[in-house]
Amino acid sequence: MSKYLLFATVLFGVLGAYFVVSAVSVNVSADVQSLCGNGNIDSGEQCDGSNLNGKTCSTQGFSAGTLSCNSNCTFNTSACTSGGGGGGGGGGGYTAPAETAAVFSGRAYPKSTVTLLKDAQIAATAIAGSDSTFSMKLSGLSGGNYIFAVYSEDSKGIRSSLLTFPVSVTSGATSYVSGIFIAPTIAVDKSEVKRGDNIAIFGQSVPNGEITVAVSSEEEFFGKTIADQNGIYLYNFDTVQLDMGQHFTKSKAARDGAISSFSKAISFAVGTKNVAAGLPAKCPAKADLNSDCKVNLVDFSIAAYWYKRTISAEFVVKDGERLNGDGKVDLVDFSIMAYYWTG
Amino acid sequence: MRQVLYKILFAFSLGLILPQIVFAAQISFDAKTTQAQVGKNFEVTLFVNTEQENLNAFEGKVTFPNALLDLKEIRDGNTIVNFWIEKPKAQDNAIIFSGVTPGGFNGSSGLIFSAIFEAKKEGVAKFEVNDARILRNDGIGSTAVLSITPFEMVISKGAQVEIPAIQKIEDREQPELFMPEIARDKSISDGEWFIAFVTQDKVSGIDHYEIKESRQKILTFFSRWRVAESPYILQDQELRSYIFIKAVDKAGNERIAEILPQNPLRWYENYENWIILIVIAVIFASGAKKILWRKRGARI
Repeated sequence: MSKYLLFATVLFGVLGAYFVVSAVSVNVSADVQSLCGNGNIDSGEQCDGSNLNGKTCSTQGFSAGTLSCNSNCTFNTSACTSGGGGGGGGGGGYTAPAETAAVFSGRAYPKSTVTLLKDAQIAATAIAGSDSTFSMKLSGLSGGNYIFAVYSEDSKGIRSSLLTFPVSVTSGATSYVSGIFIAPTIAVDKSEVKRGDNIAIFGQSVPNGEITVAVSSEEEFFGKTIADQNGIYLYNFDTVQLDMGQHFTKSKAARDGAISSFSKAISFAVGTKNVAAGLPAKCPAKADLNSDCKVNLVDFSIAAYWYKRTISAEFVVKDGERLNGDGKVDLVDFSIMAYYWTG
Repeated sequence: MRQVLYKILFAFSLGLILPQIVFAAQISFDAKTTQAQVGKNFEVTLFVNTEQENLNAFEGKVTFPNALLDLKEIRDGNTIVNFWIEKPKAQDNAIIFSGVTPGGFNGSSGLIFSAIFEAKKEGVAKFEVNDARILRNDGIGSTAVLSITPFEMVISKGAQVEIPAIQKIEDREQPELFMPEIARDKSISDGEWFIAFVTQDKVSGIDHYEIKESRQKILTFFSRWRVAESPYILQDQELRSYIFIKAVDKAGNERIAEILPQNPLRWYENYENWIILIVIAVIFASGAKKILWRKRGARI
């Protein structure tokens, strides 16, 4: 009897262990994704970043070369070399190209988060130093033409304009893209200013940068100011020289001989009274179709779903609020989306 | 007197038109040669020169004489277009294309796509771009001034000059890593969950995507891939399935992205677990039976 009891205990023990393992395995597989990139070899990972777990090309069956790690934490043996064939004057080995990567460096805002987009999708983020400089490396690229873009957010959460640059990446080499200079952020203290009063134009850029503020009217006015140690700048513009009506302002920064592009242009009116303006919205003003404060592949997909179709009553509202409101989805709507893109 | 007036008017009109022509974005074709041979292939590439403007949306229709040419292949591996609204494809004796570059493109030789043709018979093949539209990266999608330069290819039976061979693409690389996103929106299919995905292949270009959904991970092996386009309305609206998206490039290389179920099955809901349990139970039962038979035999 005790033997049957022992058998039953063993059986239930094994089954119990299986249940625990099967229940846990779901969590483990979920964790694997998030752990890849932490530099440690976790369950299911062959490597992680520069941590190759002591493996080399020779342990992977190659004769020489450099083993590296893919972004999905699997070995990249493309730079490993296989030995050539034997007798009869056999052929030489095939030497695969080395790592294909790109390094980006430049200036943003002090301690701001810089986001790098690769072909319009977020590929990396970095925190700029207190001197506003940043650097980031992107591995696992192929040889070919890429459109990279960077943007940053200032201390108030205001997003810069997207700075794009096409780069031709050479297979087996590291390309260096330096001198990136993200345009300043910009805001105004009044949405309407009484003619003759001052309007404050402010934002963030590089520490001690020379900021040029442009105000458009029939003729364009320019003014200069110096940002403080945190990159914050303020320029008071006297509106006496402006006509009544709508105007735009934008800014750019210069430091150590480098000049940024102009920021986004923001509008204000010159009228008969002063109306305070809030800070620019943190979410994109347009094109965010699913209201998640991002303009990315999901929004593109929603718009693409309605491309060349009769749009639904539901989508008519979105088209009016967040696209061009012409009752159809066409290239113009996608262009608006591409302008407000965040990745 | 009238002639002088006409000349002044002509000069004045030219003065108005010229600046627009000078600063217009240009769409042009390029090929290694302007001569082709009957029965041989040649490649024609479509480029955009933005003339210092930042442009983010491109569309048009490339026409070619169907009687003289046979379209063999379209290559878009190195395009400046990040998202195709309409991937370049043959339609009504033309190649239509429409796409965007988020953030815009500003450059003198932005490759849109290239096409490989086989020359069928002698003649002059003229390539044109119709219904072309290029939009500025200005937040309102204003139309950029555009100038289009047509292209002619002289096709002869015998080779007048040496015609360079088309570079064969040797693509051993998988499409790039990608991260599909699951989302839903009231405006799409009554708020059903969909999955959005896109990736690039810099060598040969993406050919197509395939998808499969399965609540069982091991048995997913037996389920079939279906060709899919983004956005794809998910079959499992309870999000209890593993989702696999396969990107296939034009050389047949594949990259699979796996999405774990957002609401995974409990262990007892997954019949894979019951199959394993039963197998274990059967093994134990047969083992126990053997032990019992041996002991009974020993007693006898």
